[in-house]
Amino acid sequence: MHKLKNSNNMGLFIFFGFILFLISNRVDELRVYQGASIAVFVIAIASIILLTGYSGQVSLGHGALMAIGAYSATLARNELHLPIVLSFFIAVLAAAIGGALLGAAAARLSGPYLAGTTLALAVGLPSLANQFSILGGEQGLTFDVGFPPMSLGESFTQYKWYFWISGLAALISMWLLSNILRSRYGRNWRAGRSNEVAAQLSGIHTGRSKILAFTISAGIAGLAGALLSMTIGTVSPSAFPLALSFSLLTGAVLSGVTTLSGVMIGAVTLVAIPEIADVVTNHIGSSENITTNLPGFMVSTLLIIAVLFVPNGPVEAHRVRSMKKLAKKKVNALTKPSMEGNT
Amino acid sequence: MKAINLRKLLSVSAVLAVASLAATAVPAHAGEVGVNSSEIKLGMTLPMTGTASLGYNKIPGAAKAYFDYLNANGGVNGRKITLIVKDDRYVPTEAVAKTNELILKNRVMALLAPLGTANVKAVASSVNPGRRGVPVLFVNTGFSGFADVKKYPTTYAILPSYIMEAKIMGQYIAENFAGKKIGLLYQDDDFGSDALAGFKAAGVNFAVKVAYASGSQGAAAAAGWITKFKAAEADVVILFGVSSATSAMLGTAAVLKYAPQWMLGSVGGDATTIKLTGVPAGVLYNAIGFSPVPATTDLNDEYIKLFSDIYAEAVPGSTFDLNVLLGMNTAFMTAQALKAAGDNPTRKSLMAVLNTKGATLANSALTPLGYSGTSHVGLTGYWVGKYSPTGDLLPIGGTYTTYTTDSGTGAVVKSNYKRPAMPAKGLPK
Repeated sequence: MHKLKNSNNMGLFIFFGFILFLISNRVDELRVYQGASIAVFVIAIASIILLTGYSGQVSLGHGALMAIGAYSATLARNELHLPIVLSFFIAVLAAAIGGALLGAAAARLSGPYLAGTTLALAVGLPSLANQFSILGGEQGLTFDVGFPPMSLGESFTQYKWYFWISGLAALISMWLLSNILRSRYGRNWRAGRSNEVAAQLSGIHTGRSKILAFTISAGIAGLAGALLSMTIGTVSPSAFPLALSFSLLTGAVLSGVTTLSGVMIGAVTLVAIPEIADVVTNHIGSSENITTNLPGFMVSTLLIIAVLFVPNGPVEAHRVRSMKKLAKKKVNALTKPSMEGNT
Repeated sequence: MKAINLRKLLSVSAVLAVASLAATAVPAHAGEVGVNSSEIKLGMTLPMTGTASLGYNKIPGAAKAYFDYLNANGGVNGRKITLIVKDDRYVPTEAVAKTNELILKNRVMALLAPLGTANVKAVASSVNPGRRGVPVLFVNTGFSGFADVKKYPTTYAILPSYIMEAKIMGQYIAENFAGKKIGLLYQDDDFGSDALAGFKAAGVNFAVKVAYASGSQGAAAAAGWITKFKAAEADVVILFGVSSATSAMLGTAAVLKYAPQWMLGSVGGDATTIKLTGVPAGVLYNAIGFSPVPATTDLNDEYIKLFSDIYAEAVPGSTFDLNVLLGMNTAFMTAQALKAAGDNPTRKSLMAVLNTKGATLANSALTPLGYSGTSHVGLTGYWVGKYSPTGDLLPIGGTYTTYTTDSGTGAVVKSNYKRPAMPAKGLPK
């Protein structure tokens, strides 16, 4: 196994976790609930970025992989009475196995064929729950992680507890991902994405590398699914509609599919848009029709703007700009003395 | 270069987190949440967009139409009622998010008429209105579980359960179609399994049962169902599914000239919704249907007359249908319960009214309400009717014959329930 380098970033993540902890103690219950939703989206969008941005495979079916994670965690919790950490672990494992199977098929497909296959999965898989009574049918199963520990105090809310759990999960998975992406595996994925033939010539087994990307991405999506069902207290087929897979993809594009560092942008946008739309419609006092359709309109507009102006995401655009500036400075610094010398 | 990115990740994230979490301070409220000297705030989440919104998205407009009428006539003890509506697109995640906004940000006093079993269950589990003491009035689902006071202490059902409906259908079959071959189309989930439990309790023997998976209904599937019903020579075919299944079935049957005696469950039997799917209402003609509230075209009924007048003025050009009637009826019952909750209504006094006097609340339904301290069962029965050529459900023989029962093993009985007279001008007294 190749060693994961640069694990010294851990300090930064711990620092960031500390900031989140401080924030969670200062804001009201609705904000911690929204914070928990953002954490879930961060994890889910990161799984798409890994798959699409780094390994170059498209998935329209990540909602289904989230459903696998959600159902596995719920069953592990309800049927086997496992502790919450273990049931999340099972969610990751089950979704990763699902992802490996899907990845094996995906490695043979590309472009629209792969998109179609994963799309079919997103449409079909959640409704499978209606066929097995153990999965609870349309109304779903209750997923109860229990009340926060008494030691945290009487006023410690359930949503703050959810936020701590999902925030911690998000930090750990982001730390893991940022390290994996900088490892040999990350480089292999990027090489395969840029030019598959060249990657093969340099000794990369691109098929295997793609399956690995799918497996890891699915495992992370599974974790997001389990956390999602924790925050809504239940798991049911209708919690994983096709629209979920699409909004994850939207979040990934807004974040910039090739930069993991932008992941918060997509997640915050998806959670904040309905609220911003609410504020806007309250101010202009518009009709119900506008109120209900404005969030979708705003997301679509943002998506178009992002694709037109920052196709690789705002973070990547900013990086390129500052690199150019830096390069220009360097060129100037190099050329200036020689120019002076000439005159 | 990558290290720069990581630092950027942190700075971008921190800025976004702080920005999104800013402006959060909620001023402390004196008195009961959602009630002040001039206003009572109520909240509602239901699908306003998307495929599941068909028909149901008229409910908020209908409820608002009644509340506006009420507010124009003095409100409840001088307070006007404000209804805040949020779109949950029929997705549990959205229902939880929007309900949280209603309770934590908009600070509503009570939730009104949420829709869909999975959504109400997710909200009960995550938002936990029971633990917060927030009343959830008149949930729009036939799932019998929500009447369970221990599990859902602040939730009140309104629609009769699917089990009650199936039991009453069974009774009607025993009385009118003894010896006939009966076929059943049902949805392959909890909705259908509740129905099967009801039919079993009523002792109905089916010649053929056809299950369909939610989302699989369409003209092609319907042709397959018809083949099965034809093969079993069913005389009566019960369609206990959603509107899209009913319209696919009746539309296809009309083309194939297949015409058994149809019997439609109330969920899939709304003519307006069926018409919206593109099938002419005429296909409903002569089918047997069930409803707890009067026929929406029955202008001799004092409630229908008043409600349809109010609605026509508030939302001109929109058909007064079953969803509209149910929405207005819910608003009307809420107004009465709030009035009875005293000069300074609280969440507790509102629920106390429902637990002690809930069963006597005036409302348009022709069957009794089951509210008590130990039960949150809403309406308990149906009247039986036939559809007219224009798709209106009318009582057989011109008079309403109502049946009542429970969701357990209780018998189905013909009801002699006398509906309380409507308070003057339809305003709470």
